[in-house]
Amino acid sequence: MEKSAKKKSKAALTLIYIFLSFLAVFYLLPLLWVVYVSLKDDKTLFVSPWALPEHLMFENYNFAWTAGRLGVATVNSALVCGITLVLCLLIGSMAAFAIGRMKWKFSGAMMAYFLTGMMIPVHCILIPIFTRFSKIHLTDSLTGLVLPYLTLSLPITIFIMTGFFQSLPNELFESACIDGCSIYRSFTHIALPLSKTGLFVTGLMTFVANWNELLLAMVFISDDTKKTLPVSLSKFVGPYNTNYSQMFAAIVIAIIPTIIVYCMFSNQIVDGLTAGAVKG
Amino acid sequence: MDKLLRDKKAITIFIAPAFLLFTFILFIPICQSVYYSFCNYDALTKPQFIGFENYRQLFTIDRTMKIAIKNSTFFLIFSVVTQLIAGLILAALLTNIKKGRNFFKNVYYLPCVLSSAALGLLWMFIFTPKLGINQILAQFGIDGPLWLMDTKGFIILPMWVIASVSLWQYVGQSMMLYMAQISGISSSLYEASYIDGCTKVQAFRYITLPLIRPMVATAMSLNAIGSLKFFDLIFNMTEGGPNHMTEVLATHLYQQGFKYFKYGYASAIGTVLLVLCLIVTFIINKFVKVDNYEM
Amino acid sequence: MKRKVLSVLLSTAMMASLLMGCGGGNDTSAPAQSSDDSSQEAAAADDSSASTDSSEEAPAASGDVEEITWMFWDDLNATEDLISIGYKDVVERFNKDYEGKYHVNVVTTNLEEYYAKLNALVAADETPDCFIVSPGPNLDVYVEPGITADLTDYLKADGWIDTFNGGEGAFSQQTYDGKIHAVPLNIAAACVFYNTEMFEAAGITTMPTDWQGMLDACAKLQDAGYTPLTISAGTAWCLSMLAGYLCDSEGVDLAAIDAGEASWLDSNVVNATNKLVEISQYFQPTAAGDTNDVATANFYNEEAAMLIQGSWAIAQINGSNPDFEDKCGVFAFPGTDGRVIAKSDSLAMSAKTAHPDAVIALMKYFTDETAQKYTAEIGGKIPVTTVEYDETKAPAQLAYVMDVFGSAKSTFGFYNESMASTEAGSTFDDTMVSIYLGTPVEEGLSSLEDFFKNNVWNK
Repeated sequence: MEKSAKKKSKAALTLIYIFLSFLAVFYLLPLLWVVYVSLKDDKTLFVSPWALPEHLMFENYNFAWTAGRLGVATVNSALVCGITLVLCLLIGSMAAFAIGRMKWKFSGAMMAYFLTGMMIPVHCILIPIFTRFSKIHLTDSLTGLVLPYLTLSLPITIFIMTGFFQSLPNELFESACIDGCSIYRSFTHIALPLSKTGLFVTGLMTFVANWNELLLAMVFISDDTKKTLPVSLSKFVGPYNTNYSQMFAAIVIAIIPTIIVYCMFSNQIVDGLTAGAVKG
Repeated sequence: MDKLLRDKKAITIFIAPAFLLFTFILFIPICQSVYYSFCNYDALTKPQFIGFENYRQLFTIDRTMKIAIKNSTFFLIFSVVTQLIAGLILAALLTNIKKGRNFFKNVYYLPCVLSSAALGLLWMFIFTPKLGINQILAQFGIDGPLWLMDTKGFIILPMWVIASVSLWQYVGQSMMLYMAQISGISSSLYEASYIDGCTKVQAFRYITLPLIRPMVATAMSLNAIGSLKFFDLIFNMTEGGPNHMTEVLATHLYQQGFKYFKYGYASAIGTVLLVLCLIVTFIINKFVKVDNYEM
Repeated sequence: MKRKVLSVLLSTAMMASLLMGCGGGNDTSAPAQSSDDSSQEAAAADDSSASTDSSEEAPAASGDVEEITWMFWDDLNATEDLISIGYKDVVERFNKDYEGKYHVNVVTTNLEEYYAKLNALVAADETPDCFIVSPGPNLDVYVEPGITADLTDYLKADGWIDTFNGGEGAFSQQTYDGKIHAVPLNIAAACVFYNTEMFEAAGITTMPTDWQGMLDACAKLQDAGYTPLTISAGTAWCLSMLAGYLCDSEGVDLAAIDAGEASWLDSNVVNATNKLVEISQYFQPTAAGDTNDVATANFYNEEAAMLIQGSWAIAQINGSNPDFEDKCGVFAFPGTDGRVIAKSDSLAMSAKTAHPDAVIALMKYFTDETAQKYTAEIGGKIPVTTVEYDETKAPAQLAYVMDVFGSAKSTFGFYNESMASTEAGSTFDDTMVSIYLGTPVEEGLSSLEDFFKNNVWNK
């Protein structure tokens, strides 16, 4: 009886692994294909897209790096997204704490107010934002990019973090309160540490969204030394034809930092997982 | 305790930075954009107020708008349903394995961290008949369909293709949100249930699901809003073509605003989109979310 | 918690500086540190310090140099487009020759976001001093509200206009009420490119001059086992170029249609569309899904015998397959009674520019002998001025294109750039694609007619 149950669960586990591996292949193949295309030249790409390249075109990377000025762009993107990330997590979780944990009449209304920011397509507000920023001379500067990125990331941060704060058990706060803990302390020392996974998930989501944002960056930034990565990637799309292989090389270069940041963040989420529930 | 949580000063301090930033940088432009939706405005000359004319055109004579609403609705339903199911299944499977959990989770989340524009281009390549999977299918003697150009049926093939690609890309996000929430569930609950003879499936059904319900509502709302605003993949795979058949609200808005300089008209589409998002979020929160505000 | 986020941020910055090797490594550390107090001021402060070392310092350092901006739709460093590379030379020459007097700063986007950015700049009253624009409705929208300056006086002042091929006639697409609002830089003509070897093998000795001849040639090529024609329906304007030729050869009068005096349901449009359907049997099998890049590649990789394209494709063809240049012939699209589709890139000047002289000087550099020679000899486009260029240096195809263009009785613009609005042009393109994909001719055309009823004729 015991044995057969064990056998059954082992068989189930094998099935799960087969399924997950199959899915993983489905995820990795297209991405590997990007790397593969980046090593071909445009001519053979069109003749035999799936054939192995005759010689590996590492010069695609070299060209992408120098002509696209990806070095400066990477620093700019890291700056803009890094600063945005820190500010957004701080300001966003403060607001989320007030909305999700504290008791006041307008908390629901405030949430709805912030949510409208998530619902409007950025195309609609592009020209109003741009003209306003232009009046205060904030266009063509990285600060001028941090501010809209930060504000556009706030609604989603508040939305997700509110959910996390709400799911925290009440008892913790009550006992802290009895110990004479101030509301500010209970935010920084109870709410934030306990919502670590939430912070990492939202941090990851907003970071990635800003890292890949093209339209605002394209319209706001004119100076070549202040361009961000997505803008630099678009340099390879010409008016009549596109340098696919070099563009894919640039894409690969642009992906690497995101993957590193992502791994740092995502493993934090898993740490939370192993510390928590479902074992055995 | 209660007094502490009603501290007006603390609430103000907590909410003020976000509120001020949001109001000045985002909300005023949103209001401006709503105003433009009542104007004839091309961004080059001063807006002229024309009342509901843009909305009248939008709902009476604009054929593309009809297609866009149809496609956006399809997209909304498809992605909310599939992301919920697939995201939950993946999260459940991954929390139940030990070896390689990190690897699989990272792999499934990978497309989320890449730019939709780049991925759209990649998939466009893969579905181009001359270059992509049709060449592989041809090796087996199969004549592949026109993945991105077929126009037959109510929901045309390209929409299914794009919807599947977006599921591929974003399911990792839902999975991650669910996993993050599951990680917060106390392990003692599960241990107790296993002692009582619960199977894993039962534990998932009776412990995990109810406890992550708030996150289900959150993830669903995010999916719904995201799918209504969906732009990058479609724009890079089909640009709304052939003949506007794969147009959704956001691509229609973009074409009208930035290709044809009808900024006021585009703002009207944006306002419709905003209202739709509000309605859908309201419905989801009404029916899925347990009321959290009473503690 | 905060410390952890900070450490993540710091390592990001570190990694970024590692990635980019040496350049600019010093400005990564400062901002990462300053973000630790998480205040906006800090962000603002480090940004302004970063910005001083770029453009803002330039004017201060060089005293009374007149700074102008020029906006263009392709990056001048990353591009492979030969015409764009030529523009880069022009800008460098200009900045060198006028050092200490004028300086031009180049603002680039890609074509997709170009008009979004330009319009945002106009809306914010930051119109670039000089910008590139396509003639037709795209230029109309800037001319009508007075965003572009009248250039007539500058052109006529010192005989600049006489250097243009055809004098004032070169400006027909840029003239509004007798005033010239933009300067063309080069001309591309849409022709039929063909593979001479395939034509020989199929036994075609004379190039088709009428519609029946074209169909016969296609049939012969098909019988000889070749794909007669490669075209892209995935990129709508490519198919629309063919449709434009067919409409024009049937005598469709676009001006009359725009004015509401003729209809899209008239028999000449129907005939033209039927011709499109007729010739579509000779397209490559994947035409419906192929993009412009793929369709052109089919031609230079010798998988199809003919390609209908603008002459900008010459650079792309020769660049991708240099061996193909000798085999590539060009003839005028048959049956059009000597009319050729031509397209030009044009430069406009902002009406509000503070430095009109600098802008005019820049424009003159774009149309001077060196630039125009480059246009022909390397860029493979038709020069706008009467410049003498070395035909042996120019791509072989350019001579054929020049023949086609020289013997043309008249030219007309791209169909999608010759209608009442950009949207009307796109609607025409989309209609043609949908008809090719199987929508019945009558149904497709009546949807186009409906669009004009609702958007053009009621104004």
